[in-house]
Amino acid sequence: MQIEKKLDGSKLALKVIGRLDTNTSPMLEAELKLEGINELEFDIAELEYVASAGLRVFLGAQKAMIACGGKMTIAHPNATVRNVFDITGCSGIFNIV
Amino acid sequence: MNKRRCAIAVVGLALYAIFISVAWCVGTSQAMHKTEALLDYAILDFRSTIFGAIDTMLGHVAKSSVRSFGKARPHTVEEMQGFAKILDIDEINIVDRNGNNIASNDPRCLGVSMLDFPESAKFMVLTNGTTTTYSQRFRAGAHNPDVRRKYLGAAFPGGNGFIQVGLDEKHLSGMLVEMLGFVFDEWLLGEKGFFLCADVTNDRMISNPARHRDEASFLKEAGFDSEAARPYELRGETGAGRTFVQTLFGDKCYCRNYVFGGHRFVPAVPESEFFGLRTAYVTVFGILTFLVLVAFGWFIDRVMRDSASLRAYLAAEGEIRAKDLAIANTIQNAAMPNVLPADPRFRLSADMSTAKEVGGDFYDYFPLDDSHYAFLVADVSGKGITAALYMMTAKTLIKDTLLALHDPAAALTKVNAELCRNNPANMFLTVWVGVLSIETGIITFANAGHNPPVVMRKDAAPRYLRPMSGCMLAVMDGIVYKPRMTRLKVGESLLLYTDGVTEALDPHGVFFGDNRLLDVVGAAKSSAPSHICKLVRAAVTAFADGSPQADDITVLALQYLAPPRVFSRLFPATRDGISEATDFLDKTMEEVSLADSPQVATLNIILDEITSNIVNYSGAHGFEVDITVVENPRSVTLVFSDDGAPYDPLGHIDPDTTLSAEERPIGGLGLLMVKKMSDQVVYTRGHNRNILKVVKSFPAAENF
Repeated sequence: MQIEKKLDGSKLALKVIGRLDTNTSPMLEAELKLEGINELEFDIAELEYVASAGLRVFLGAQKAMIACGGKMTIAHPNATVRNVFDITGCSGIFNIV
Repeated sequence: MNKRRCAIAVVGLALYAIFISVAWCVGTSQAMHKTEALLDYAILDFRSTIFGAIDTMLGHVAKSSVRSFGKARPHTVEEMQGFAKILDIDEINIVDRNGNNIASNDPRCLGVSMLDFPESAKFMVLTNGTTTTYSQRFRAGAHNPDVRRKYLGAAFPGGNGFIQVGLDEKHLSGMLVEMLGFVFDEWLLGEKGFFLCADVTNDRMISNPARHRDEASFLKEAGFDSEAARPYELRGETGAGRTFVQTLFGDKCYCRNYVFGGHRFVPAVPESEFFGLRTAYVTVFGILTFLVLVAFGWFIDRVMRDSASLRAYLAAEGEIRAKDLAIANTIQNAAMPNVLPADPRFRLSADMSTAKEVGGDFYDYFPLDDSHYAFLVADVSGKGITAALYMMTAKTLIKDTLLALHDPAAALTKVNAELCRNNPANMFLTVWVGVLSIETGIITFANAGHNPPVVMRKDAAPRYLRPMSGCMLAVMDGIVYKPRMTRLKVGESLLLYTDGVTEALDPHGVFFGDNRLLDVVGAAKSSAPSHICKLVRAAVTAFADGSPQADDITVLALQYLAPPRVFSRLFPATRDGISEATDFLDKTMEEVSLADSPQVATLNIILDEITSNIVNYSGAHGFEVDITVVENPRSVTLVFSDDGAPYDPLGHIDPDTTLSAEERPIGGLGLLMVKKMSDQVVYTRGHNRNILKVVKSFPAAENF
């Protein structure tokens, strides 16, 4: 998995490439330093799939953003990821664009 | 039965009434005809008698006068009146050869020329020297038109003049009545008929039948109504009018009314004269008709009773036949195998729809050994219990022989010999037998007169598998069937069927036909056998469009499948183990050429969720992953087994996916995803291991 990170003041943009599973999720979690961030953007256009471990990272980030009154968006999920979001009910939680 | 007899009796009585009426009418008509004829005869007889008598009498008077006078010479009127009186005639004239009246009792006639009056002129024939007498009918006289008078002339010898005598009608009839009164008294008409004669002015009877002479002296006393008779009254010599009915002397009589010379002559025929005939007619005809009708009614009753019992017999017979056919159908259906082969390397499906009346189709399939599977479709001639039992015999014989010989051609050769040896019902059957070599897809087959199967190749349109067929079974002894071969590649199918398919008829009597069958299966040649069978059945049903099914419709499809490929590996129950398992899945998918399928990501998620569960929670030392890839339809089965603590993930409660992010506990989502993203999840515990099987089917679009 690859992560491309871009920090612009209080806005953090992350491009996640590859697979987000048990072994790779901790890497993403480690990259998410959310102190002072109130705008979080995930570009997952090149994310092959997301397992529940990856889902947890997204859910954790969403909780953090809600706690600090920030905003999180997840952009360009593929069909598989979208399906996972739908199955797990996350589609209603995340701001998917 | 009583109802039937009542109906027959009613019809019989109606017919009897009609016949009797007809007989009555015919009898009446006959009697009337005879009565009329008798009355006609009476009038004719009366007239010829009277006029014959007048002619004779006047002729005698005229001729004797000629002899007395000698020759035509004048006499005084007084002399002539004297002669007339003596002779009791009304007129006497002597005419010379030139037609001049030279002597007459009527002064008006004297000196008149006969030639002046056309009727009188006709008497001049008496002057030709050869004619001796000439007479005329009663007519109005030249000088006295109110008086009807008859003239008769007799010639002097040599045509030298003649004497003409005349007699008035009234005068004459009075004479005749006096002369002929006794004749009328005795004048019988037929057996019972009689003549009445009366004066027309007061209907006083001048004569009546002897038997009534004393009782009646006036017509009305005899019952005669001259008023009723009047409309038919005719004058003079012309006819006698119409017949009318009058009661005379107490008897109903048919009468005529003939008025002549101031007298009424009434011939009367009592009804009993001829109407006894009608009674006889009706009686005889009635008895005969009655007898005939009774006989006929009895006959009809017998016929109806017989036909009723015949119908009952036929109905019973039909019921027996229906039962027979039902039993036959039960035997036929019960004889079909119903356990489908479990081998994943091929699939088979069969379907049979039995027709009510004809057809003795059957199919069979069974393993010969671990690597050979036999399948066949057959069609026995005939229907009913005989055919069903014959079918059972043939089916058992074929199966036993195939199990013993493993070779379809050799088996058919032997079965044929066996069936020919003992075929009391002269039945026969067609059969197509194939044996699939499960490992290679090679089908060895033999055909005994059956329809060629359809072979559905991967890269070509469906076509018929048509090597030369052998003769049908049980027809000719000593036939040797030749073995044939074909090979199915992975995904290819063979369709067996009976002529009930290709010879199904539409409402216009058109056959379903071979080409239509190819078209039907062409669209779905890579489908599962069950689908192909359904498709053919549906096509035949749609084609028949309500026409009754004439024959059994049987289809059997077999599809050869790729043998499933299984990949297994052991992994340590660590995070690295999870990575290795993921790599293993990726490599396996590449090996089976499925790496590009969108389903691979789903499989990866499933693998990640389950392996992480094992690693994180089971306490296992290691786990094994088996990947099984099955084609047609394509599916991938993942089996995870570990030596950890017993744990059934399916017993786990699904997390509440409606909760918001803050409320939602982390965990449990993974198993939910596995269940929702796969087609089947099965947990078992065996040999101290948790075994979780997850099946993921690929969409139909990704098949074949």
